[in-house]
Amino acid sequence: MTDQSARVRHAIREALEASLPELGQVDFDATLTSDVGLDSVQIMDLVMEIEDRLDVSISVEALAEIKTLNELADRLASRVGEENT
Amino acid sequence: MSLFEKFSGLAEARAGLGEAGVAPVATPIEDIISATEGVIGGRRVILAGTNNYMGLTREPEIVEAAQEALAHYGTGTTGSRMANGSYHMHQALERDFAEAFGWPSAMVFSTGYQANLGTLSALAGADDFLLLDGDSHASIYDGARMSAGQTVVFRHNDPDNLDRRLARLGSNAERALIVVEGLYSMLGDQPPLAEFVEVKRRHNAWLLVDEAHSFGVFGERGLGLAEQTGVLDDVDFVVGTFSKSLGAIGGFCVSRHRELELLRLASRPYIFTASPSPAVIASTRAALRRIVDGADLRRSLWRNIDSLYAALNRYGYKLGSGDPGPVAAIILPDRASALAHWQGLLDAGVYANLMIPPATPKGLNLLRISLSAAHTPEQVDRIIAAFGEIRKAA
Repeated sequence: MTDQSARVRHAIREALEASLPELGQVDFDATLTSDVGLDSVQIMDLVMEIEDRLDVSISVEALAEIKTLNELADRLASRVGEENT
Repeated sequence: MSLFEKFSGLAEARAGLGEAGVAPVATPIEDIISATEGVIGGRRVILAGTNNYMGLTREPEIVEAAQEALAHYGTGTTGSRMANGSYHMHQALERDFAEAFGWPSAMVFSTGYQANLGTLSALAGADDFLLLDGDSHASIYDGARMSAGQTVVFRHNDPDNLDRRLARLGSNAERALIVVEGLYSMLGDQPPLAEFVEVKRRHNAWLLVDEAHSFGVFGERGLGLAEQTGVLDDVDFVVGTFSKSLGAIGGFCVSRHRELELLRLASRPYIFTASPSPAVIASTRAALRRIVDGADLRRSLWRNIDSLYAALNRYGYKLGSGDPGPVAAIILPDRASALAHWQGLLDAGVYANLMIPPATPKGLNLLRISLSAAHTPEQVDRIIAAFGEIRKAA
C-alpha cells in the first residue's frame, strides 16, 4: 500500500467515525448500499466529510460508479495523486 | 423475478404509515372551498400545507383571465414551443418575466421541475461544472444528472465549503455554475445569499438562484430572496415555478444574459414537451401582475408568519429554520410522533404536510406548515390552538 493510499484509507475511517459512528468497523469490500445499508444522502454526507479531510473533490457522476469503500479509496487516491502532480 | 421487486422497501414504508383513516401521504382532498379551506375525510379543514403562499388561486380577476383564455383558445396547445405551441401569450408572459426583473431574456417551461431540468441540463456542457447545495431539490439533482457537466456538491448553506470546492477547480471555476435555492422547502431555511455572492465573485463563477418557494414572498416586488438581499445584479439566472405563489402549473428561467434564448434550441425538456395551456398562461400573467404590485399580500403573509413562528417557539417546538418564513417545519423525534402530530392537527381541522425520509434532509421526520396571505388571523389562531391541544394531550 502506498503512502497516498494509506492516507486516503485513514481519512475514510476518520470520516466514517465522525459522520456515521453507529456503523462501527466497516469492511472496505462491503457494498455501501446493500451491505452497509447507507442511503444516497448518507453516502453524500460521508463523501463530503472525506473530501474536506483530503482537500479533493469527487464528482457525483464518478461517485455513481463506486460501489465499495475500496473503490472509493482507489478513486480518491488517484484524485489526490492528480492534485499533487 | 418481478420488475416491481425493487420497490418492496417503499411498499413496506407505505404500509408502516397505517391504512386506516385518511392517508397522510398523497392525502385525497375531496373538495376545495377557498384558497385556505377544503374538505378532507368528509370534514371541512383549514389548508395549511398547499404552498399557496399568495393565496391567488381563487382571486376573481385571475380566475376570469383563465376562463376567458379557455373559452377563446381552447383547452390546450397540443404541441411544443418548437412546433405549433408558441402563441403570442407565451411570448408575452416571457416578456412580462423579463421586464419584471429588468433583464433581456426569459423562458417559460411546462412545469417547475422542467424549468430546472431544462436550464441545468442545457447550460452545463462536457467541460463545465455544476456546484450544488447538498439540500437541493430533486429537480436540480436531476437536471445535473441529465447534463454533460461534472457535478460537485457542497455542504448545505455553507459558503466556505463552496469556496474550497471552487478553489480546487482553479481557473475552471469560471466554467462553474453555482446553484442555490431562495428558500429550502423541507426545512424552510434560507441561504446566506450575500455570502454566496461574495464567493461567486471571488472565483468569477456563475450563479443560479431557484426562487420556487421564495418568489412572491420576499422582496419589495416579490421577485424573491435575491431581490430582498439586494444581490440581483450578481445573479445570472433565476428559476421559478408557477405552482406556488403564482397559483398555476409551469416554470420559468429569467437571465441577465440575452444568450439564454439559445437554450430554446438546445434544452430537451423545453423542446420535447407540449407548451403550457392557454388558461395557465393567462392566469399566470394576471398573477404575476398581482404579485409585483402585491405589497398588501406580503404584509398579510408576514403577519401570519410572525404569529405562527412566535407561537411554535413559545410551545418549545424545534423548527427547521431559525429565520421565520412561509414554511414552518417542526422537527419531531421519530416517524410515530410526526404521524401523531399530523393526525392530531387533522382531527382539529387543520391539514398540514407529513414529511418523512427519504424525501427529507438528514433523515428527519417533519410536520410542515405552509402559510398563505389568504389565511385570516382567525385561521392562524385556529392552527396555533390545534398545536396547543396536541401539546396538552402529550
